[in-house]
Amino acid sequence: MNKNTTSRRQFLVAAITVSGLATGTLATSLFRESAAWAKDPDKPLTRLAQLLFPHRALADSVYDDVVARALAMAAGDPAAQEMLLSAEQALNAQVAGSDWYLADEQTQLAAMKALQDEAFFSAARNLFMFTLYTHEECWKTIGYPGSSREYGGYLERGFDDIDWLPEAAS
Amino acid sequence: MTRVFDRTDSSVVVVIGSGAGGGTVANELAQRGIDVVCLEAGKRLTLADVVNDPPTMDERMGWHDERDGKPVWLCKTVGGTTMRWSGVSPRFEKHETQALSTYDGLEDTSLIDWPLRFEELEHYYDLAEDKMGVSGTHGTPASAENNNYKVLKAGAQQIGYSRITSGRMSINSVSRHGRPSCRQIGFCNSGCAIGAKWSTLYTEIPAAEKTGHFELRSECMVLAINHDKAGRISGVVYRDASGTMHEQKGRAVCVAGNVVETTRILLNSATSKYPTGLANSSDQVGRNYMRHMFGFALAIMPKPVNFHRGARQSGLVYDEQDHNPKRGFAGGYLFETLSLDPLNVAAFVGGWGPGTSQYNDSYTHLAGLFLVGEDPPQADNRIRLHPDRKDHNGLPVPVLDYTDHANTTAMREHGVTRARAIYESLGAVEFWGGEGPPIGCHNLGVARMSANPEDGVTNGWGQTHDIDNLFVSDGSVIPTSGAANPTLTIVALAIRQADYIAGQMKKRNL
Repeated sequence: MNKNTTSRRQFLVAAITVSGLATGTLATSLFRESAAWAKDPDKPLTRLAQLLFPHRALADSVYDDVVARALAMAAGDPAAQEMLLSAEQALNAQVAGSDWYLADEQTQLAAMKALQDEAFFSAARNLFMFTLYTHEECWKTIGYPGSSREYGGYLERGFDDIDWLPEAAS
Repeated sequence: MTRVFDRTDSSVVVVIGSGAGGGTVANELAQRGIDVVCLEAGKRLTLADVVNDPPTMDERMGWHDERDGKPVWLCKTVGGTTMRWSGVSPRFEKHETQALSTYDGLEDTSLIDWPLRFEELEHYYDLAEDKMGVSGTHGTPASAENNNYKVLKAGAQQIGYSRITSGRMSINSVSRHGRPSCRQIGFCNSGCAIGAKWSTLYTEIPAAEKTGHFELRSECMVLAINHDKAGRISGVVYRDASGTMHEQKGRAVCVAGNVVETTRILLNSATSKYPTGLANSSDQVGRNYMRHMFGFALAIMPKPVNFHRGARQSGLVYDEQDHNPKRGFAGGYLFETLSLDPLNVAAFVGGWGPGTSQYNDSYTHLAGLFLVGEDPPQADNRIRLHPDRKDHNGLPVPVLDYTDHANTTAMREHGVTRARAIYESLGAVEFWGGEGPPIGCHNLGVARMSANPEDGVTNGWGQTHDIDNLFVSDGSVIPTSGAANPTLTIVALAIRQADYIAGQMKKRNL
């Protein structure tokens, strides 16, 4: 499946489009194909996901799952896996005498800033962005309900209920 | 009354594509009693296939064939990109169709004036608006004002704008022509689940089938167009769903592949008679490719907005559409409401850390808009064929070369500044504005209408200058972009083209 490999890599390195990711589509289907995933949370990657997109209201376990889904999407794609692996290694290399994820937050952020222009960094960012902001727990927490067709849309459910704007000029 | 035509039947008009241009011209020809075979690369979905899940719908209807260069966001499905479009349907302004005369002196552009009278276009705008059910026209009310629109309207009024409407949407504001009114579902860009938004899938295509003069062949990918010894078009080569190659004969061909495929088909049909491709003696096929000035703004408002509720786009502000060079750029732009899901909020804002995630932390308080404006044509902004790379169909991969003109950059900066003022006038807590991630666009140009054959590819009816029975029927013919979202104009020009083709056939010129 040469085409799929290419598409996945394109996704990891770059792709975003207006309504969901063109290639994220493919990534989603890959995720669905490989429902079984690594059992143990990957602590460094979980920490990386948290610092990339910090939401205080989100439990650590959600970030664990975000990483799990990202790894599942990368499964079977050596280039994608290498990207994630090299993210860990590069972060560790920034922190003398310790693992990056055990360092204090300031040190962790400084290491990320030093690496933010690297290809693997944006690959990890795009991947976690996709799995976090399509995650049902994340949606629930931030107030995005997802599909509305089954509820008849918002015609009778507040599409025009805003009440704090100044009176319209005539 | 679906007809089936023989592939050797050379009396049919072959239409390539079933979207805004192809679906419309095909139906309009069929309504005039002209036999049409419409070849569409994608599958025929039904409303039951539409779910509120953008990645799934992209899988079902997106165009994912290999491409190089700037990204596009098109559809491979019956209905084409009318399945994905938001429905915003403003008209061009007269001065926008006279871009060379109006913006005279704008450097590094290939501006021309449109080779048609604006008053004639206005007549076809009327017909297109009636067909599409554009809200606020033909006795229909403007679209219902959703929360995001109310914020835009209030802020625009605060800073002194006055030309503000929730109309001009091709989403039924009342049930009409057998289709229901909008239920404010959202997810408009993933197909309208109830068919309230105009799409050729459930308007033009079934209407054409009822005439008995129309056959749709879905999952048929066009590879090239053939000509006879005299150089006139004789047929279209395509591959069907089973992979079998065919040629459909025809008396004329209308190409409507949403610019990228239109270019590829014309260039890929090169022969010893037409060594640089069909209709390309001017070397203009693929050139003057325009994508519109695009800009985006998101604001965290002091209280809830819930902008995900309802149509993603539902109103616009015209006040900056005029040509006013004092602003530092030629042409103008529109403000249009836009809502985003959380994934796209993060993607648009870009970056990482609290500066990015604060927007999703305040998701319920977000308001947003889209800026769309004039993009002057440049000869070197072009779509071409990759010299070596071939895709899974064996077709050369299209390469999209495109750079923003300085005019576009200046216009975007102006629009973002004004968008900030709109939201800050209502107490916005945070504001982000900019170009956003590399996304889809409006595709225009590449086979433009021109009075002088050296300046373009087709005449004012989309008939190619070089070959009288070859027509271009999509946004490729639009000579300059204006600020307006293009679908309404594509439909108006397609109706006009059908009138012209029918007239030429009556005169036995075709």
